[in-house]
Amino acid sequence: MFAQQIINAISLGGVYALLALGLAIVFSIVGLINFAHGELMTLSGYALLAALVFGLPFPLAVLVAVSCGALAAVAMERIAFRPMRGASVTSLLLTSFAVSSLLKVVFQNGISARPQAVAMPGWMTGAFSFGDFTIGVGPSISIVVSALALILLETFLRRSVTGTAMRAAAEDFDVVRLMGIPASRIIATAFLLSGLLAGLAAMLWVAQRASVDPLMGFTPVLKAFIAAVVGGLGSLPGAVAGGFLLGIIEVLLQATLPAAIAPYRDAIVLSGVIAVLLLRPQGLIPAVRVQRS
Amino acid sequence: MLSVEGLKIRYGEVEAVRRVDLTVESGEILALVGANGAGKSSTLGAIAGLVRVAAGKVVFEGVDITGLAPEVVARKGVALVPEGRRIFASLTVADNLRLGGAVHQPAAEARLREEEMLELFPILRRYYRAKGGNLSGGEQQMLAIARALMGKPRMILLDEPSLGLAPQLIDTVFDLIAELRRKGMTILLVEQNVALALEIADRAVVLANGEVVLSGTAKELASSDLVRQAYLGA
Ligand SMILES: Nc1ncnc2c1ncn2[C@@H]1O[C@H](COP(=O)(O)OP(=O)(O)OP(=O)(O)O)[C@@H](O)[C@H]1O
Ligand SMILES: [Mg+2]
Repeated sequence: MFAQQIINAISLGGVYALLALGLAIVFSIVGLINFAHGELMTLSGYALLAALVFGLPFPLAVLVAVSCGALAAVAMERIAFRPMRGASVTSLLLTSFAVSSLLKVVFQNGISARPQAVAMPGWMTGAFSFGDFTIGVGPSISIVVSALALILLETFLRRSVTGTAMRAAAEDFDVVRLMGIPASRIIATAFLLSGLLAGLAAMLWVAQRASVDPLMGFTPVLKAFIAAVVGGLGSLPGAVAGGFLLGIIEVLLQATLPAAIAPYRDAIVLSGVIAVLLLRPQGLIPAVRVQRS
Repeated sequence: MLSVEGLKIRYGEVEAVRRVDLTVESGEILALVGANGAGKSSTLGAIAGLVRVAAGKVVFEGVDITGLAPEVVARKGVALVPEGRRIFASLTVADNLRLGGAVHQPAAEARLREEEMLELFPILRRYYRAKGGNLSGGEQQMLAIARALMGKPRMILLDEPSLGLAPQLIDTVFDLIAELRRKGMTILLVEQNVALALEIADRAVVLANGEVVLSGTAKELASSDLVRQAYLGA
């Protein structure tokens, strides 16, 4: 039982980490908290549903769904944010709110306000047993996928020129441009990565719940936002640490709180968040950013 | 090679540069000097595309580059080493250099170029794997210059390379600038240390309150009364 809880905690933490990382990548480059990040996740969920309805084999459907998240993020930047280049952060925030609301309405009216069942393959809901332990296949896959995504992303950011340029741009974007590296390439890549991560998170989320609804992305992205702030807004290692921390605390509280106080779980978690921020206002692992007058 | 005509720069209501005209000939060092706030950095920023031009023209190798994005100006062969160096502190020396040469040449050429830079700046080889932020001020200045040179620019804009350096290091940096010039690089040098700047430059332009107040050969300026009184403390 305890082993299963640990696995659940890491698996939920992994989903939060992927989402928080997507928010942090965009924030570190553009200074924008993309409130429409949750809708990228929802959109990938519907894309998975549609691909399965069209009869695509499951792995292919997942590929289509994740790509849809990534493409939607790039399109969002092109259509909504690029024309606002140079606008104040407040205008960007409002724009992202608008995009988020618009997409929700489209999902509600264009598809349905009610949850749609997604036919996940049967083996996903199975479990392994080792002696006394039973561990769910779904959460285990979720952990492996999150870990792989984190390793791949880290490799991209460390090894590739564009990844290195993104780390540099988080510090000092103007100087990256002075090196001849186009701003639009860096920004588009940031959105592409955030969309990929949102798409992956959506797959893991849907795998646990087997349904999609227009508000699907809201709660996990809210949690991811909290995780990103706790970790240190704009800091990528911080986002990952914050995501895992939040996921683990949530699951452990869920498992250990007496029934009478269980409904206050989120309040307890948020109090913890406030405590962390009082002690470390810059978050657990603060972002490096050049301060200029 | 570069000409700036009637340049005007505004920050909101403030007119930081009123009217600057200057030309830099191929292969020379032009020193741009003046008091704090005279508009030197703004002028370099405008040439490099970082600062918006309110009026006037910037022409490089016969092409109007006014108002182009910094990445476009960089690709045309103009590199700015900004004031305060602004190396990427969280990146290694190797990564700082890599970004400098990333878009200007194929990867194999960039590696050769990097080797040249490590020959020119042995200190960077020593700290190749160190984070840029851990280097001393002088080492960071070397890195900033090397990073700009990685892109094989035809012209380099240096903004106060001596700022905050120990006298001995200043000599090293200036020897290097002279060496670059000997190799045919065109240089626009902004410098607070007017004596040093006039020693190394071919010609110089003096800015005050966003306007050119004096220009001529470095020799002429070094012996002019205005410059001697205002900047050389004589
Ligand atoms: N981003 C900015 N916003 C508002 N005002 C600015 C900005 N940058 C520069 N200024 C103002 O423009 C004027 C010229 O500044 P600039 O940095 O070009 O001078 P400078 O000659 O390089 O000075 P220094 O020797 O101190 O580096 C100054 O009065 C400065 O306060
Ligand atoms: Mg200056």
